[in-house]
Amino acid sequence: MSSVAVIDYGMGNLHSVAKALEHTGCVDRVVVTHEAELIRRADRVVLPGVGAIRDCMTELRRLHLDELVHEVVQTKPFLGVCVGMQALMEWSAENDGTPGLGLFPGRVEYFGAELRDPHTGASLKVPHMGWNQVHQRGEHPLWKGIAQDTRFYFVHSYCVQPADAPFVAASATHGVTFAAVVARGNIFATQFHPEKSHTAGLALYANFLRWDGQS
Amino acid sequence: MLLIPAIDLKDGKCVRLRQGRMEDATVFSDDPVAVAKRWVDAGARRLHLVDLNGAFEGKPVNRAAIEAICRAFPELPIQVGGGIREEETVEAYLEVGVQYVIIGTKAVSAPHFVQDLCLNFPGHIIVGLDAKEGKVAVDGWSKLSKHNVIDLAQHFEDDGVSAIVYTDIGRDGMMSGVNVEATVRLAEAVQIPIIASGGITNLEDIRKLCEVTDSGITAAITGRAIYEGTLDFAEGQRLADELCG
Repeated sequence: MSSVAVIDYGMGNLHSVAKALEHTGCVDRVVVTHEAELIRRADRVVLPGVGAIRDCMTELRRLHLDELVHEVVQTKPFLGVCVGMQALMEWSAENDGTPGLGLFPGRVEYFGAELRDPHTGASLKVPHMGWNQVHQRGEHPLWKGIAQDTRFYFVHSYCVQPADAPFVAASATHGVTFAAVVARGNIFATQFHPEKSHTAGLALYANFLRWDGQS
Repeated sequence: MLLIPAIDLKDGKCVRLRQGRMEDATVFSDDPVAVAKRWVDAGARRLHLVDLNGAFEGKPVNRAAIEAICRAFPELPIQVGGGIREEETVEAYLEVGVQYVIIGTKAVSAPHFVQDLCLNFPGHIIVGLDAKEGKVAVDGWSKLSKHNVIDLAQHFEDDGVSAIVYTDIGRDGMMSGVNVEATVRLAEAVQIPIIASGGITNLEDIRKLCEVTDSGITAAITGRAIYEGTLDFAEGQRLADELCG
């Protein structure tokens, strides 16, 4: 019986993530929990996240889930979503500077109060909210059946840099180009919300649920 | 410790009550989104919305205002209470982006309701226990039950709720200080986070709560104090971040 644990540290849109994972039909059990043993027992792990990264990191640490994440990423396919991706970086500028889990040598930066489209000069809204093209860089099993530049749904005010680092599996542009997906070994993390991205998102979740962690 | 501004909604407007009495309401604004924006701009990282009509009528009445706030601040975790007594209501709120629903009266009158909600919507359910002298009150605080607040909190922890909002009715809207001892007693009796509510007046109250944050008090809701200005929200959150990260 296959299972996926969705880490509940009080800061994720767990219901929509859990529903989407169930909806793929690619897993027998979706376990929403913060209990270490249940997370360790699952075949795969998802780290969701919404809200201020500072509060996410505080809760992760309070529940000792920061240690657990470091542990499970060594052995299981691991998917980070939205703030769950940002938390994997070294540092975020949000909330007067917040250290992350340091699993990727990247940083999270504000889009900017005066964001403009570099070609037209038009002012752009922050948060970056809505559908946007995700430009894949290189092959990855989680892109199976997902065309280049497919649109996914984003809602975020801070983005991961640098966009051209080796660990960036896909980029997107909203005034600035940023990392839309980071990946390394059995870790894959998206800035966009697959659970809000209709068919493409479900396909990505399905690919994750069938992934053995090899890239 | 997270400081959470409260926005109480009555007939589509933002109000404050004294001791939870609908008849003793002061209207602050008729633009809930503007009020929400004020707190977000001041650095709020979560909002506590109360559907007061809902709390008394037993079903949501101010859904439009709540939805408007969720749409205006799509990244902001929002918790909503007041008249949530049906599973469909919970689902509808989560669909529009509410992060947590707070179950009050029905948690006490129909204990299986919370258990079922926790199974169906894990991570999104908070129980609000409002107490006066250790006894839980229901129906918008119009009735005092014979239930002991700690016993109930432990029961809901077993069900899987994400947190308990503990409001001391005697202190709410009166700005007479937080009942720290009672809140700590509750926090020590459970492992899940306790969100303190009722009586926060100024920075001193925040300092007192930060001193005991390790007992499990992870957040505090503040209403009248930030509207009347005895507490500057931005300053309060900055102090809380400094003292207890």
